Amino acid sequence: MNTNHAMKRWLSPSRLMGIAVALFLIWFIVAFLMYPNLSLLLKTFIKDGSFTFEPFRQLWHSGKAMKSLLNSFILAFSLMITVNIAGVFLVMVTEYFDIRGAKILKLGYFTTLVCHGIILIAGYQYVYGPSGVVTQLLMRIFSDLDPNWFTGYGAVLFVMTFAITSNHVIFLSTALRRIDYQTIEVARNMGASEFRIITQIVLPVLKPSIIAITILNFHTGITALSSPMIQGGDHFQSINSIILILAGSEYSRGVAAALSIILGLATFLILTFLMRKDMDENFTAVSKVSSRIQKKKIANKPTNFLMHAAAYLLFVIYLLPLAIIFVFSFTDSYSIANGIISLDRLTLSNYIYVFSQPNGYKPYLVSLFYCLGAAVLVVVLCLIVARILHKSNNKLVTRSLEYATLIPWLLPSSMIALGLIYTYNTPKWLVGNYVLVGSIWIMLLAYIVVSIPFSIRLIKASFFGIDGSLEEAAKSMGAKTFYTFRRVILPMILPTALAVIALNFNGLLVNYDVTAFLYHPLLQPLSIVITSSVSENAVSSEVDTKAVSLVYSVVIMIISSISLYLIYGRNSNR
Amino acid sequence: MIEFQNVEIKYNDFVAVEAMNFTVKEGEFFTLLGPSGCGKTTTLRSLVGFIIPSKGKIMVGGKDMTHLPVEQRKIGIVFQSYALFPTMSVYENIAFGLKVQKLPKDEIHRIITEMANKVDLNEQQLNKNVSELSGGQQQRVAIARALVLKPNILVLDEPLSNLDAKLRGQMRAELKRLQNDFGITTIYVTHDQEEALTLSDRIAVYNKGKIEQIGTPHEIYNKSGSRFVCEFIGDINRLNEPVLRQINQQTGRQFDLSKPGYIRLERISLSLPPAIHKPVCLKARVVENEFNGIYTKYTYDVDGVLIRNVEKNDGSMSYINGQEISLFLNADDIMQF
Repeated sequence: MNTNHAMKRWLSPSRLMGIAVALFLIWFIVAFLMYPNLSLLLKTFIKDGSFTFEPFRQLWHSGKAMKSLLNSFILAFSLMITVNIAGVFLVMVTEYFDIRGAKILKLGYFTTLVCHGIILIAGYQYVYGPSGVVTQLLMRIFSDLDPNWFTGYGAVLFVMTFAITSNHVIFLSTALRRIDYQTIEVARNMGASEFRIITQIVLPVLKPSIIAITILNFHTGITALSSPMIQGGDHFQSINSIILILAGSEYSRGVAAALSIILGLATFLILTFLMRKDMDENFTAVSKVSSRIQKKKIANKPTNFLMHAAAYLLFVIYLLPLAIIFVFSFTDSYSIANGIISLDRLTLSNYIYVFSQPNGYKPYLVSLFYCLGAAVLVVVLCLIVARILHKSNNKLVTRSLEYATLIPWLLPSSMIALGLIYTYNTPKWLVGNYVLVGSIWIMLLAYIVVSIPFSIRLIKASFFGIDGSLEEAAKSMGAKTFYTFRRVILPMILPTALAVIALNFNGLLVNYDVTAFLYHPLLQPLSIVITSSVSENAVSSEVDTKAVSLVYSVVIMIISSISLYLIYGRNSNR
Repeated sequence: MIEFQNVEIKYNDFVAVEAMNFTVKEGEFFTLLGPSGCGKTTTLRSLVGFIIPSKGKIMVGGKDMTHLPVEQRKIGIVFQSYALFPTMSVYENIAFGLKVQKLPKDEIHRIITEMANKVDLNEQQLNKNVSELSGGQQQRVAIARALVLKPNILVLDEPLSNLDAKLRGQMRAELKRLQNDFGITTIYVTHDQEEALTLSDRIAVYNKGKIEQIGTPHEIYNKSGSRFVCEFIGDINRLNEPVLRQINQQTGRQFDLSKPGYIRLERISLSLPPAIHKPVCLKARVVENEFNGIYTKYTYDVDGVLIRNVEKNDGSMSYINGQEISLFLNADDIMQF
């Protein structure tokens, strides 16, 4: 009787469904998160059945590869300083000091939220590149100026500094707004100078956020790909851009793998440190009734003028690439190549081509398929994983799952891409003996894999934010687990899930790091088309390639703005 | 109706509830009262089925419910947070359990309309989102949602703790009215002794996973069964040796001088109570007075022991600090354990 009862429970539909889900998750984690990376390590270090350091020896003797290694570390360390100077400054001028037109300035600084990734990097090239507007202007003043003046370390550092201040705009501004103004007032009341207040009251509270952002920026710097490729020139290539070149040849693949392993180790160390910092330091306001921060007028007139001047100069730097992309999207290659902005040359033909010709809208369809597909699938996957993390009492299961979902965060995109390429370029039983390399699916899978850590973090937080008694209430009214999930839990998770879909979609639209390794030659997504068009040699007999790529950029920015408005804008009005 | 037979509940090695034995009669308003972490909510959750006891049995109507799944127990629950589904309207919240039972739409509508009338929710409120309701209205929705499934038992887990003092008072009265109207057996969990005294037919006072005393509010308050109950329920004076010695000298009753005696504040009077044959009189000096409008709470020094009492505000009499007075009490009102 008892055996029958136990058997029935084991074979109940919900139990069978649970087993199927568990098997699927195990397969996905092994096939796409663990095996490709382990396989890459084995292929790099095991030759003819024995351990070898040959790829590292090759790397040591490759001047270009070693230079790229050095370049990436120099860039990452430099960005830790420059991004913080720019980021802290723009947060202070918009949130702390009373600067005229702060709201407009803020709009300019916020542009990195909608114009980012490859679009922004390309945008800077249209402003400062050999045919850029600023370069053309400078050449009129300094006739002997080298048109390629904006290349190398300085150019990459400049572009990346202003391209990655989004973290400051979002997180540091929020941290600053959370400072209890009464602590500043009491310091003033005790006679503290403005400098002392900033250094001893404001910045210590912001320190955990600044450290976290600094480490993230270090990570961005060390894994940089698009800016070194576009602005780096011959002398300033990064690890990732060299990996991309080396990965193409069978002979140098080992060196590419060795480089990506070094990158992986660096990322692992950085993120371990970041997570420790995240747990160690967290200041919360201790006052029972905190008050909103009030902007401080700068009393010293010369300082006030300098602050205003610097704030508006930054505004121009931020807005220029965006404005140039927008204006040039209505012109032709000639205007773009010569940095000419003339009313006579304005045209709508680029837009008409993009929206009416199959070749024009094909990159959109390709990107839509990959980015939306991956964005939705990763959220579905993360909903399942987060639900298990939320409900399971088995620590072994939850910890294993949690660590598995963090793997893509600990590894650079290039290593993930190389792992997939080197593993699935031959038939493997794990994927039904299907050769994924060269198929349309490999990039979709890679997009899903790289989006997992960010998505799981937000969706998991949303699950854990739900009052546990809601589920118990539903259960006490007779609702089964799946019915409760569908009717009670899912509607509460849905806003977060949709936001994650939108954010992933936005991020993937301008993703270049994974795309450059894995895109199908016949199905080029927008980021590849845009990058190709930046090249000085980009020509096409059929269309104005450069101008059309700018239309793509404008439309991506519009899509990003709409999704950001849908996620944050509407809520902030409530 | 409900019977806990030697129930023990463990969280790993920690025994949250130990050898629990009590019965609840049909239609009774039974309260589990005790400080935080004493095991009262754990007991409640084991009755509902969220926790399975490690030992013992839970019987309802003569049937063993110990291992029965939650949904088969026919117990309605109102949570501390009310646990109203925020993505649903009031109507949808109340209809949730009926939809799970797959009742026809017309039937669901009829039942909800009837229930809404009983708990004073109008049609406009039924169409609102639960977040648009006041705390009191949310409580009524939570009760309606639980009662609409016609449960045999209603359990309430500190449902008033999120409300402000004034609303708590109003809701207490409303809760009692609803329980009377529906006549349903109700188990109520609270740490608020005033709530327990005003609402309950009987109270079980918990301490460290065990029941200290079960009784009517009157018994619990006036005939407390242990030192813990005495100190946990209401305000009380602790009488030490010098005071007890004086009392022993004046009455036939002999209190053990090595243990403290306890007497409620209102059982000490400044005037001679007419009904007492042999009142005890203690010489005291006023050291503090706290005017509260309806009454004044005095603190006196009696032979170095501080004793308090409350005097109704009749608009005339008021004692000042340092004033010498006489206190009267009945030795039978003193409890000693």
